[in-house]
Amino acid sequence: MQTTTIPPEMDLVYRRPDTLTQTPMHYCPGCGHGVTHKILMEVVDELGIQEQTVGVAPVGCSVFAYNYMNVDMQEAAHGRASAVATGIKRILPDRFVFSYQGDGDLAAIGTGETIHTVNRGENILVVFINNAIYGMTGGQMAPTTLLGMVTSTTPFGRESQVMGFPLKITDLVAQLPGAYYVTRQAVHSPTAVRKAKKAFRHALEYQKLNKGTCFIEIVSNCPAGWKMTPVEANEWMEKNMFPAYPLGDLKVPK
Amino acid sequence: MALRLRTGNQMIAQGAIQAGCRFFAGYPITPATGIFKTMIDELPGEGGVALSAPDEISAVAYCIGASMRGVKAMTATSGPGWALMTESVQYAVMTETPLVIALVQRLGPSTGGATQGAQGDVLLAEFAVSGGYTLPILSPSTAQECFDLTILAFTWSELLRTPVVLLSDKEVGMTAERVDDDLLRNVTSQDRLQWRNRSGGLEFMKPKTYGTYSFDCVQEIPAFTPVGGEMKVTATGSAHNKQGKLQKNSPETLEVLKHLEEKIRWRENDLVKVDADIQNGAKILVMSYGITSRAAKDAVAESRKRGIRVSFLGIQSLFPVPSRTITESLQGVGRVVVAEENLPGLYRSVIERHCNGARVLGVNKIGSLITPNDILNAVQS
Repeated sequence: MQTTTIPPEMDLVYRRPDTLTQTPMHYCPGCGHGVTHKILMEVVDELGIQEQTVGVAPVGCSVFAYNYMNVDMQEAAHGRASAVATGIKRILPDRFVFSYQGDGDLAAIGTGETIHTVNRGENILVVFINNAIYGMTGGQMAPTTLLGMVTSTTPFGRESQVMGFPLKITDLVAQLPGAYYVTRQAVHSPTAVRKAKKAFRHALEYQKLNKGTCFIEIVSNCPAGWKMTPVEANEWMEKNMFPAYPLGDLKVPK
Repeated sequence: MALRLRTGNQMIAQGAIQAGCRFFAGYPITPATGIFKTMIDELPGEGGVALSAPDEISAVAYCIGASMRGVKAMTATSGPGWALMTESVQYAVMTETPLVIALVQRLGPSTGGATQGAQGDVLLAEFAVSGGYTLPILSPSTAQECFDLTILAFTWSELLRTPVVLLSDKEVGMTAERVDDDLLRNVTSQDRLQWRNRSGGLEFMKPKTYGTYSFDCVQEIPAFTPVGGEMKVTATGSAHNKQGKLQKNSPETLEVLKHLEEKIRWRENDLVKVDADIQNGAKILVMSYGITSRAAKDAVAESRKRGIRVSFLGIQSLFPVPSRTITESLQGVGRVVVAEENLPGLYRSVIERHCNGARVLGVNKIGSLITPNDILNAVQS
């Protein structure tokens, strides 16, 4: 990819921060991962902590996060990102450590790690992308899949009698004393993006205080898995995902 | 002829349903998801239960619970999921719970290559059990064999009261190929021997007359008693006596542990499933399994065209090792070629000791399929 040199007489309004690599993203059109990567890395850039930031990626669509986030990144085994982040943070307590996980990774196979990481009040940021589906393996039911939602493993829609209820793990961890800042955001509109970015800034600033885990859920979409166009997916998300997963702060520092 | 285009994964699911499997639990993982998906779609219509689990640890444990009631159960996974399942697989060995696990291999270690085939899990699967207890392993090389061997896997697991691994791989599992419906033998798997109450009355709380694992000689397979049935059942993953009660070092417990291996070892000559094409006077024997045995077959055909006398042995029952069959195939053979898609020659290291001093050559590669030419070169060298 080629970078363009901006003529000096023009005002520079926006540029790609150094915290984002030039690698074209592999995410599907309309997917929320790209925007979330971008604002998280913009915050790292604005706070000037690129050299002090370490991230842990999951198994799932964002397994390739290290290709795009220009900080130290490791992919952990499926579900174990927050546990690996714990080890890193305990050895390097002055670094900014985050895990970045999807709903399958964080709320299914990694539920135990998630709950105990927050319960210990690990001073890390947990980023949780909730799009209610397993994207990478072809659209299977996730713990956060909505009732009635059709996926490849709930061909007639999710039924609570058989498949249980959408797991609101963010509400769950907000109850834990180890949680310092818990919020639920989205990245589907300019307003939402600004709010989400502010949440990332708070969370990384709070990490300096050593007060506990910051947990940010991004309610996101999966146009490919939901079998919708990007626009339809965002409309469907507003109509169905937001009532089940209302945006806003769940726990803020007193 | 009734030809259909089917993947190996679909044929494993179809074979399982025909074998009478009525419980499936899975977790999404490439390249095994096709089995999960087909079972979710098909099993409820057969009166069975198909469940999504939050991880592979739960998936295999759900299956053990169902099997303890007497229902034939299966799960499917790939290398990373198998790693999580091994604790419960050992539990199933210890509690003599029938279970079939389809392990569709991908390139490892760890997350490895989700969409890259490999044959790297053969020893990881076999030696997952502490103490080296034999875990029967069947390995299909075509969609048709996926069907046949799945049914056989259920028969073995039921009759031997043991978990059985169906070792497939990404190429066999995800490639669609022609399957002739007429060739799908109208057979089903055999069922486990269930305990019957001769007196017809309830015999709760009479452990002296009946134990969950009662046998007279170590090779015997104890009759199965379902949980929730008329007999009181106890089972434990801890070392136990014949009643399934924890006991550490008693002679009876050691006898039960010996029995876990002997029940399989004693029948190993009945548990042989090979695709043999032996040529009289052959000086070379080509051995392979899984997807690579297809390349090996082509290489053998080409060698014969070129006037080289060569025998072929495709091994479908990898464990217990069909040692007698291997030895018999070695008549007059001076050189053995073993082809498999891993670098160290995992299965070769196991069968080498059965090759009676013949020179054993490996054809090994990862990252792409082993071609007939790769094997042909080894035959001609």
